[in-house]
Formats: sequence, structure tokens, C-alpha cells
Amino acid sequence: MNLLHGRWERRVALLAAGAVTGEAARARVQRHLDQCAACRAHLVAFQATLDVLARDPIRTAEPPLPLSALRTRVLARVDEAAERRPRSSRAVLAWVAGSAVAAALVVAVGWPPAPRAPADAPPPAAVAEAPEVSDEFVRHLERRVAREQAARYLDEASDVLVTVAARPRRCRKGEERVDIGDEAQRSRELLARRSLLDVDGAAVASARPVLDDVEEALREVASLEACARKHDLQNINRLVERRRLLLKIDLMTRELQG
Amino acid sequence: MERSDRELMAALAQGDRDALSALMERHYRRIYRVVLGYLRDPDEALDVVQETFVKAFQNAARWDARSEVAPWLTRIGINQAIDRYRRIRRRRLSEQPLADGPADHDHDRRWSDLAPSPERQALGHELGARIAGALRGLPERQRTIVVLRHYDEMTLDEIAETLGLSLGTVKSSLHRAIHRLRDRLGERGR
Repeated sequence: MNLLHGRWERRVALLAAGAVTGEAARARVQRHLDQCAACRAHLVAFQATLDVLARDPIRTAEPPLPLSALRTRVLARVDEAAERRPRSSRAVLAWVAGSAVAAALVVAVGWPPAPRAPADAPPPAAVAEAPEVSDEFVRHLERRVAREQAARYLDEASDVLVTVAARPRRCRKGEERVDIGDEAQRSRELLARRSLLDVDGAAVASARPVLDDVEEALREVASLEACARKHDLQNINRLVERRRLLLKIDLMTRELQG
Repeated sequence: MERSDRELMAALAQGDRDALSALMERHYRRIYRVVLGYLRDPDEALDVVQETFVKAFQNAARWDARSEVAPWLTRIGINQAIDRYRRIRRRRLSEQPLADGPADHDHDRRWSDLAPSPERQALGHELGARIAGALRGLPERQRTIVVLRHYDEMTLDEIAETLGLSLGTVKSSLHRAIHRLRDRLGERGR
């Protein structure tokens, strides 16, 4: 089995999943299958696997609530959200609209009066009349975005850590090694994103200790080989457990999401 | 004459509740099955379907009229399901200490313990339980792609667009997922 064959195996898996598009591409895979017994065996195994999925009773499951009842629940939630949300967003909109109206009035009425320009001064440059949004409103939005980004980051980080805790799949190097490639890669992506979070700002200051702990755990995961030793995973799991990191992430995510 | 999905979305953006009802009638079963495929819990899945249509109503004005409605709804649903699953998993694991280390033979049992029992009662099915265990063993991205492909029959291009991934990433994730599932569901996993 060489690298090239690995690529064929991938195509065979996609063929079994009905995901090879184009007649020519399918014909190429078929030609390879005609001369490769190992690939034919893979195809049979992949098809058997997907046949099991196709028999999943969920594919024909009916929702446990009739449509009419679900519709009632959805509309009730829509009304409930409309009751709650607009009170704040209506206030914000009124505030923005008020600022805009005030700004327009200032421009129109010319108050406060500008110092009289000398008669020979050049005409003033045209000023865009876009309504101004107050600094406070901008700060409010920035704070909200910062908190949402931090919550999303923690949410995804916890998913990596939980998956690491549950990762059992042996990789080919031996019994004592497990496949952690996806999680190591995701940890690296998350660590890159961590530097974009505004952790020094007041908006997410309370999350700083949790973010630091999460960063340490992610660094451990990111440093693992794709085919890692179980022992290394156990160390990370102990770190997560010792610091009660998942519980902290859960609480902090809720706090950030308000 | 029956209104198209796009016409219904345009009406929904104007706050037309009848349009919401018509869209629900057309899509709620499909979304329920996709979400159930991901969560494997009928009650949680129903909650997610409910929230999917609430969000669809609230965000109808932002829907891009050039895009298809069904994948848009699916995207809302699957994102909700992913968030819900993460919360459930985090909550359960934060309530109980992690085992010392991962081991193949522990995995299914651990995830079976975490699985909500109503699912078992509702599906009451060995096959469903086997598939649930196998899917739970997949990383999030692979699991999502398998569900969209095999429970919603999305094309790989649609999956890529729905999840904001490249086509190559979708292909390699699907391939890896099928490998893992073969180990758990295929002959070797029996």
C-alpha cells in the first residue's frame, strides 16, 4: 500500500458514498477497481457500512409532536422573543434615531453657531451628513462582539477537550497510540484565533483566567503528534479535570452569552 | 396555487405567519430527521427544530434571495444541533470526572452512558444504538458531514457551502468518517 494507493482508497470511499461526481471520474475509479482486489474489498466494506446507516430507523422517524402543536410552540416563542427583544432594541433604535434626528437638526439649524469665517476664507469643504452613532453605542456593540467571540472560542475549545477525553481510536502505530490528528489541528487553529480575542478589554476581563487555562490545555493538545501516546492524553485529561476546566468553560460561556 | 419556498421566504420577511406555517409543513420532518441524526435524542431534536423555525422567522429578512431555502434552514438547524450537543456533552462531562484515559473498549460504554435514555426508549433499537455509538465516536466536523450527506442527502458542494468549508476538506472529512464508521459498524466492528 503506497501513497498513490491511499488516494485511490479515498476515491473508493467517496464512490461508495455516492460522492464521486462526473461520469469520467466514476469511470476512472471503476477502471482502477477492475484491477485492484484490495480496493474492491474496501468498496464492499464501505458499502456495507453505508448500508447500515441507510437502515437507521431515524431516517423515517416522525417528530414526537404533531405539526399543529409545534407551530403553536414556534409562534409562542416568536411572540415571546418579540416581547422581550424589541424593548431593548427598540430603545436602542430610538436612541440611534434620536441621535440622527438631533444631528440632522444641528446641521439644519446651524446650532451651535460656528465662528464666522472671514470674508476671504475659502468655502468650507462639503461635510457628509451621515447620522452619527454615539461613542457609547459603538462601545456597546464592540463589547457585545468581543463577548460573543470569546464565548464561541470557549465553546469550540471545550469541544476539542471533550473529544480528546473521549478519543479512543487506535492509530496504526500500535495499541498504545491513538489518533488525535483532527483535534491537534483544531487546537492550533483555535490558538491562532486566541490572539485575535480582545482579552485585555473590560468586556471579557472576567474570562481571562479561564481563557488562560484553556490556552494551556490547547497548547498541550496542539503539541501532540497525530498518532499520540495514550499516556500524553491522560496527562491532558488530568489537567482538564484538576482545574475543573469544562465546568468553568460552561459557566463562563453562559456568562458571556448573557 | 401553492407558493414556492422563495415566495414563502419573501412573505416571512414581511412577518407573514401563514408563510411560516407553510414552510414548517414542508420542511419540519426533514429538519427533524437531520437534527435527530446528529443529536440522537428526540426531545432535544424537537427543541432544535422549534428554535430553527423561530430563528428562520426572526432572520428571514437577512435571507439571500438567490440562495435555496432548504439548505438555509438546514444550516440553521445543524448549527443549533452542534451548539446543543456541545452544551450537553460539556454539562455531562463537567458533572462527572473523566476516566483516566481513553481505551477502545471503554469508548462505546462511556458514550452509551452519556446517551440520553429517552432515545433508547423511543428508538428502542439495537441498530439505532449501534449507529448512535459509531457517530458519537466521530469528531464534530466528520459527524456533521456524515449527517448532512446521509440523512439530508446533500451534495458535497452543498455541504461545503452550508458549513463554509472547501470542497477538498469535505471530501477528506467524509472519507475519514467512512473509514472510522467502517471500523465500528462494518464487519470489523461486529
